[in-house]
Amino acid sequence: MSAAADRGVPSARPGLWQRLRYRVRIALREPTTLIGILAALLFAYLIIVPILSLLVDAGRVQFGDERRIGTEPGAWTFYYISRALFSPVAGNLFWAPLVNTLSVAFGAIGISLAIGGPLAWLVSRTDMFARRWFATALIVPFMLPAWTFALAWTTLFKNRSVGGQLGWFEALGLTPPDWLAYGQVPITIILALNYIPFFILLFGNALRRFDSQLEDSARMLGARSSTVALKIIGPMMLPALMSAIILAFAKCIGEFGVPYVLGLPVNYDLLATGLYRSISSRQTGVAAVLAAAIMLIGIVSLLIDARLVREARKFVTVGNKGAMARQSALGPLRIPATAFAALIFLISVGLPLLTLTLSTVMRVPANFALSNFTLDYWIGTNLETVALRTGILLSPALWSAAFNTLTIVGTASICSGLLGLLVGYVVVRTPLRPLAVFLRQVTFLPYLVPGIAFAAAYLSLFAVQRGPIPALYGTAAILMLALVADQMPYASRAGISAMMQLGKDPEEAAQVSGAGWFRRMVSIVVPIQKGALVTGILLPFISGIKGLSLFVILAVPATDVLTTYSLRLVDYNYTQAANAVVLIIAAIAYFGTLLAQKLTKTNLADGLGS
Amino acid sequence: MPAITLYGARKNYGGSAPDAVSDLDLVIDDGEFMCLLGPSGCGKTTTLRMVAGLEHLSGGRIAVGERVVDCVTSGTFVSPEKRGMGLVFQSYALWPHMTIERNTDFGLRLRKVPRAERQERVEKVMKTLGIEKYRDRYPSQLSGGQQQRVALARMLAVNPDVLLLDEPLSNLDARLRLEMRAELKRLHEEFKTTIVFVTHDQWEAMTLATSIAVMSEGALQQVGTPNDIYERPANRFVAEFVGSPPINIVEMGEGSTNPLAVSARAYFARHHPRLADIGSIGMRPESVAFALDEKAIPDGAFSEKAVVSGVLPTGGSWIIELAAQGAKLFLTTHQPPAISDGDAGWFHIRPETLHVFDAEGVRHAAADTQLRGEVGSTARRATRKVPA
Ligand SMILES: Nc1ncnc2c1ncn2[C@@H]1O[C@H](COP(=O)(O)OP(=O)(O)OP(=O)(O)O)[C@@H](O)[C@H]1O
Ligand SMILES: [Mg+2]
Repeated sequence: MSAAADRGVPSARPGLWQRLRYRVRIALREPTTLIGILAALLFAYLIIVPILSLLVDAGRVQFGDERRIGTEPGAWTFYYISRALFSPVAGNLFWAPLVNTLSVAFGAIGISLAIGGPLAWLVSRTDMFARRWFATALIVPFMLPAWTFALAWTTLFKNRSVGGQLGWFEALGLTPPDWLAYGQVPITIILALNYIPFFILLFGNALRRFDSQLEDSARMLGARSSTVALKIIGPMMLPALMSAIILAFAKCIGEFGVPYVLGLPVNYDLLATGLYRSISSRQTGVAAVLAAAIMLIGIVSLLIDARLVREARKFVTVGNKGAMARQSALGPLRIPATAFAALIFLISVGLPLLTLTLSTVMRVPANFALSNFTLDYWIGTNLETVALRTGILLSPALWSAAFNTLTIVGTASICSGLLGLLVGYVVVRTPLRPLAVFLRQVTFLPYLVPGIAFAAAYLSLFAVQRGPIPALYGTAAILMLALVADQMPYASRAGISAMMQLGKDPEEAAQVSGAGWFRRMVSIVVPIQKGALVTGILLPFISGIKGLSLFVILAVPATDVLTTYSLRLVDYNYTQAANAVVLIIAAIAYFGTLLAQKLTKTNLADGLGS
Repeated sequence: MPAITLYGARKNYGGSAPDAVSDLDLVIDDGEFMCLLGPSGCGKTTTLRMVAGLEHLSGGRIAVGERVVDCVTSGTFVSPEKRGMGLVFQSYALWPHMTIERNTDFGLRLRKVPRAERQERVEKVMKTLGIEKYRDRYPSQLSGGQQQRVALARMLAVNPDVLLLDEPLSNLDARLRLEMRAELKRLHEEFKTTIVFVTHDQWEAMTLATSIAVMSEGALQQVGTPNDIYERPANRFVAEFVGSPPINIVEMGEGSTNPLAVSARAYFARHHPRLADIGSIGMRPESVAFALDEKAIPDGAFSEKAVVSGVLPTGGSWIIELAAQGAKLFLTTHQPPAISDGDAGWFHIRPETLHVFDAEGVRHAAADTQLRGEVGSTARRATRKVPA
C-alpha cells in the first residue's frame, strides 16, 4: 500500500463489502460462531421441526385413514379438525376433555391460591413459629412427582368399582363414593396440593422483596393496616400473583400422571389423557389436533405471563436501596397460624408419604395388626403374584428400569447441561447478534409446549424414517432427544445467566496471555462454570426422573424407565410394588434436589422465578 | 520490538452511538512509555483493547512494525493470543478458580517454559510485587490492591514485548501507588518493554510517561512529551485538562466584553500589534505573579489590577485566589506569601509564558513565534505525524 494513497484518504470509510468481509473473517476466526450455527441447526431440528410436523399432521391425511377420508395419505384435509371439534364424537374427543381440563385447572389453582397465598405470606413476612423450617418443608411436594400423591390417594380411597386391591376406607367398610375415589374431585385436590409450593415460592419471593419502607411510609401518613394491605401491598403484588397463577395454569394444562391414575379408570379425560388415548388407539390426526390445542393454551398463557412480567418490571425499581423486609407480629394468631401451616404440611406431604410407605409393608389394606406387616414386597421371594414373584428390590425388572432411567435420563441430562453451557457461551460471546437471539428463543420454545404435546410431536416426526434419519420409535435415542429438547429451556437459561455473570474479562485475560479457544474453554471457562454445569446437569436429571408424559408416549418395554414401570405396576394392580417404585423415584428426586441446592448454594425458588 | 502504529483507527460500538474512538493516528515507538490520558469515557480503554486485539476496528488499521495486525480494508486480523502483548485489566480479571501462583504462571505454562525457569521467574516477579505471601490463596481472598498486583504480576511474568496497562494503580493507597510507579518505571528501564498506560490521573502520566497522548471524546488531542503537553498544549482542551489548579483562561473572542478581555486586547494591541485572531489566552497559575507595588511589574508583562480574595496553603505551596476586574484568577507560589485577604495590587505575567489560542481553540502558532521567539509551527512539534 503506497504511503501517498494512504495519507491522501486518511478517514476514508471502508466499503460495505470490505466491512462485511472483515466481520465474517472475525466471526469465523474462532469456533464460537461455527458452534453456534451448528447448535442452531440442531435445535431447529430437535425443537422446531417436531412441532411443525405435529401441526402438519393435524391437517394431512394419515396412513390408515385414506379410505375413511377418501383421499390418499398426505393430502390436505380438515377431517381431523372437524372430527375433533364438530363431529358427533367431538364431545368425547375434545370438548369434554377441554371442559374437564379447564375446570380442573381453575379449581386446582383456586384452591392452591387460597392456601398457598396465605402460606407464602406466613413464611415470608411473619413471626410464625418454625418459619424457616416450614419454608423448606412446605415446598417438598414440588420436588416429588405429582402422581405420587395420586397413588397415595388411590391407596386411601379406592373403592370396589375398579378391580385390584381395595383402598383403606373400603377395607374398613366405609365405601367412598365414586366422585371421591376418582375423577374431578381427587384430581383437583391433588393438583391443588401440588401447586401450593408454586405459590409459596413465586409469591413468597415477591413478598420478600417488597420493601417495608413503603408500608411504613403509608402508615406514617395515617393509613390503617387494612388500607395498607389493600392500597399498597395488594396492587404491587398483583403482577407477581398473576404470573404465579398463569405459570401454574400452563403446567396444569399439560399434567398427565394424575389424571392418568385417577381419571382413566372412570373415563374421566383431560386433554392430556385424551391425547394419550388417541395415540394409543392410533388416531394420529386427532391426537395432533389435541396436542395443538394444549400447545395453544400453553403458548397463550405464557404470552400473557410475559406481558405481566413486563408490567412487574416497572415496579422493580421501587424496592432497591435500603429495602428491608420487616416481619409482622401475628400476636394471638401465632399459634393458629402455625397450626394451619402444620396441617397443610401434614396433608400435602406427611399423609401421602406415610400412606405410601405403609402400603408397601402391609399385606391387606387398613389392617394394622402386627401380623399384617411384611417386608415381602420389598425383599421377599416366592410371592404368589403372577408377574412379580419377588420383592421389588429383588426384581430384575426394577433394576433394568433403574438402569434405563440412569442411562437415558443421565445421558440426556449431561447433554442438555453441556449444550446449555455452550448455548450460554455462544449467546454471550458471538459477534453475530441474530444468532444469539435465535438460539435464546429456540431453546426457550419447549417451555411453551407441555411435555405430552412435545412427546406427541416427537412421535409424529420420528415414527417413520425421514431422509437419512431412521425411524427412532422404540429406541432409547428418541427418549434422549426428546428429553434434551424438553430440558433446554432450563439448561440454556442456566448457561446464559452463568456466562453473563462471568463476564468476558477472565477469558480475555487468558487470551492476551496466549491461550487459544480450546485452551480457554478447558482451563478457564469450564472450571469457573463447574457449579453451573453441575446444576445444569442435575436439575434436568431430577425433572427427567420424575417426568412421565414424555416416557408414557415414547417409551416401549425395551426402554422401560422407573416411571413407566411403576405405571405398569399400577395397571396390573400391584399396589404395593407400584407404590414402592414411586417412593424410590420420590427419594431420588428429593435428595437430588437437596444435593443440587447444596452444591450451588442456591434456592430452588431462584431457579423457578427466572 | 517495533513500533505500534494506529492509522485512522476507528471504533463504533454500533447503534446510533457516536464513535467511541474516531480516526486515531498514533505511533507508539519501541521502548516508549506512552500514557493515554483523558477524562472518563473518552475512549482510552477502547484504544488499548483495539491494540490488544480484543476489540475489532470499525475502520482504519493497526500495525506492529511492518506487520499489519488489524485492517478492515484488507480483512486482516491477528488474534489477541498471537500478538504477544500483555494486558492488565481495569477490573483485574483474575481467574477465580486458580491460586495466585497458578494465576501468575499460567502464561509461562502456555509458552511451555521449563519448570525450573518458570518457578524462578514466578518467584522473582511475585517478590518484586510483594505478593509471595499470598501464593496459595485464591483471588477472592485478596484485597483490591493485592489483586491489582497479582494482575500485574501475571503479565510481567511472561515478560511481553508490549505491556498494556489499564489504570493499574487506581486501587492502591498513596504509598503503594508511589512504590508501584517507581517499580513500573524501573521495569521499563530495565527490560526496555514498550508500555502503554491508561490513566485519568495527570500526575501519574506526568511522572511516568516518556510521552503522553491526550484524548477527548474519542479523538486524539495531542501527543508529546509530558513537558510538551504542559508547556505547549495544542489546544484549549489539553490546556484546561492538564494542570492543577487549572489554567486561567481569559475569553477574548469578538463579543467578549469582560474588563479583563478588554484590557488583554489593549495589551496585545500595544505590545504585539501584528497578532490577529486571538480567541483566548491561558495563564498557568505558577506563571502568574502578584505585586502590591506597580513598580515591581516587569517591562512588557501583561498586568492588571487585582484584589486578593483567598490564600490557601496546600503544604509547601500556596494557592492564591485573585479577583481581577470581576474575573477569578488562581496563582500558585512556593514562597510564603506576605499578603492577606483584601490586599489590593497587580497581577502580572511575562508574555513568553502566555498560552494564546485562536478562535477555534487551537494553539496560536504566530503567537508562539512572536512571544517566545520560537521558529516554525508549534503544532508540528506538538503532534507527531504518523509515518506512512
Ligand atoms: N462494549 C461497549 N458497548 C457500547 N459502548 C461502549 C462499550 N465499551 C465502551 N463504550 C463506550 O465507548 C466510550 C469509550 O469508553 P472507554 O471504556 O474506552 O472509556 P475510558 O476512557 O476507558 O473511560 P474510563 O476512564 O471511565 O475507564 C464510552 O462512551 C463508553 O460508553
Ligand atoms: Mg477505561
